[in-house]
Amino acid sequence: MKKKKLISLFMAAGMALSLAACGSSSSSEAAASAPASEASAAVSAAGSEAASGDFAGTITLGVIGPMTGTLAVYGTHISNGVELAVEQINADGGVSIGGEAYALATETKDDQGDSTECLNAMNALISDGIGLVVGSATSGCTSAITSVANSEGVVLITPSGTADALTTEMDYVFRTCFKDSFQGQLAAKYAADNGYTKVGIVYCSADTYSAGLRDAFSASCAELGVNVVAEESVATMTDVDYTNQFNKMVSAGAELVFIPFYYDVTGPYLVPQARQAGFSGVLLGCDGVDNTETTIPDGADLSVYNDFYFINHYAEDLAATDVSSCFVSSFKDKYGESPNNFDALGYDAVLVYKKAMEAAGSYAAADVQAALADTSVVYEIASGKFSFDETGTPIKSGVLMGYSYNEGDAAVTKSSIQTLEVE
Amino acid sequence: MITFIQFLITGLRLGSVYALIALGYTMVYGIIKLINFAHGDFIMVGGYTLYFTIPVMMRLGLPGWTAVILAVIVCACVGMLVELLAYRPVRKKGTNLTALITAIAMSFVLENLAQAIPAIGPDPRVPYTLFSKTVTIGGVSISTATFITIIVSALVMIGLYLFTQKTRIGRAMRCVSEDKQAAVLMGINVNRTIIITFAIGAGLAAVAALMYIAQYPKLYTTMGATLGIYAFVAAVLGGIGSLPGAMLGGMVIGIIQSATNTYISSSMSDTFVYLILIIVLMIKPAGILGKNVGEKV
Repeated sequence: MKKKKLISLFMAAGMALSLAACGSSSSSEAAASAPASEASAAVSAAGSEAASGDFAGTITLGVIGPMTGTLAVYGTHISNGVELAVEQINADGGVSIGGEAYALATETKDDQGDSTECLNAMNALISDGIGLVVGSATSGCTSAITSVANSEGVVLITPSGTADALTTEMDYVFRTCFKDSFQGQLAAKYAADNGYTKVGIVYCSADTYSAGLRDAFSASCAELGVNVVAEESVATMTDVDYTNQFNKMVSAGAELVFIPFYYDVTGPYLVPQARQAGFSGVLLGCDGVDNTETTIPDGADLSVYNDFYFINHYAEDLAATDVSSCFVSSFKDKYGESPNNFDALGYDAVLVYKKAMEAAGSYAAADVQAALADTSVVYEIASGKFSFDETGTPIKSGVLMGYSYNEGDAAVTKSSIQTLEVE
Repeated sequence: MITFIQFLITGLRLGSVYALIALGYTMVYGIIKLINFAHGDFIMVGGYTLYFTIPVMMRLGLPGWTAVILAVIVCACVGMLVELLAYRPVRKKGTNLTALITAIAMSFVLENLAQAIPAIGPDPRVPYTLFSKTVTIGGVSISTATFITIIVSALVMIGLYLFTQKTRIGRAMRCVSEDKQAAVLMGINVNRTIIITFAIGAGLAAVAALMYIAQYPKLYTTMGATLGIYAFVAAVLGGIGSLPGAMLGGMVIGIIQSATNTYISSSMSDTFVYLILIIVLMIKPAGILGKNVGEKV
């Protein structure tokens, strides 16, 4: 028993060290200057003292996302990012408001990827008196809670809701990701830059995310002189058969097909069926395609996942700031895997809140909103550097990532290719 | 021409799966006049059984599809349990309406029960994909799964037809569906016949599940709901209670969906499915093959 306790103490100390190492607070400097043998003990003491005694109070952030259901990967990763940020901030002395340090805590609600559940979750958080919320993951769910956020005066930062209409001027809704019209522009620019002249689109006309991306993509294609030769829609975002749509892409001679769908259909249905229908060109998706590797069936013909690219918010090896390299290393320490989009964007949402609260000198929702609405502030976060535009959407860049099949180890790998920017 | 052949193949493979599921609806309806809304969920049960058993079979050195034998057994057991625990007690006391409500309740029970099992849970699973090779013949590309689906469905339907026509149990099933009281007088064990019908119907759902996940490899606990609705529509369209009707209805719906996707608009396929259902029911209220009472099972 004693041994176990000792080990856990060491682990806690190690964790505190790794967490504190990223910050620039005095406690980490103290640890660095202390003799090596006592270093870990000193930090763990400082850490536990900070956790129990030093804080003037606790600020609870609400977190809403699909923790279960078809899009569970999104919610759990956002939550992982948020938890890491909260842990680091607390280990680093908390949020300092008016000379006092406050600890952060979270209250997480599951919306199962469903708009109604999302609204219920939001109402539950509001009735608990929470004024600062991170959520939800998809545009569909987030659009169900923006009006409540605005009417109740609750600040909402969505890590990954990309639909254009989510943020409007002078309101309580912000985000840490780029918006769909920007993603669509990036996709069209990629097609134009790489010499594709005949492109096709397969999308879902009934879905905010998919239809919004399609509009932005085809508008940008028209501007850049890329010809959209075929356009097909499916009835819902969960349709299972895309064969006929891709037959049409093939007969129209499309060299690249734009596919604004989520990973739950691209892995098992869309990509294999597109190849079965004889489409051998490039498949280009958006941020929803990230995590497709989790839905590729065993025993499938993996070569179909070649030439399959997507626009993304963040790539571990393309992000170059100090904050992002620190984020990557501490994320790997805590969770034992590389962070993805949602980890980074959830982490960023907390960092943005911290900076805004400190700038406002308050954690009241109205004050934080006013601080966030200041478009001159530059946020240095895991996914890069940005400042908000007047609607509350970051002005930032995107990255191009792609899947490829490696015959040697018979696996599909995801890699980042380049940073994409619109002049 | 290539587009036409491709559309036809896509339609037939969708239709074969619908037809296999519709057979289960129609058999149960034929024998106890109950629309078994839980039937779609038997596919989910079959799908998850396959998800767990295919890797086991492959580790044993057997081909992955042999897992379907276990899936058929599991599904048949679930089908019989549902009949024994829910439908039979309700049928003894209640009306047709109470039985219908019980069926809807049973569907939710199965879905939520599956979610509550930790190994299944609410998150979707991607099963092992069998028959993933693609063959291209004269510009038309067809996956092996499509071939196998169409052939297996055809064989199952012929087999089932022969079973109901030629065997003792099959004849008893037809007898019960025609006149329950007379069947009792003839010395047929009605309850046993009904439970066998449930076992066969649910077993067919397991075969349908194998065909389905070979082409659409994703499992989630509510997957049976949408599939069940299409199959139910297929059964009604073909004439519920009629075996050839269910097969025809399934094929018609698959082909309509595929045709709408190819030639009209891909987001209108459901609209056309239901539109045609309404038109057919206005002209022939009993469904396409519905008047043929003698064929009832």
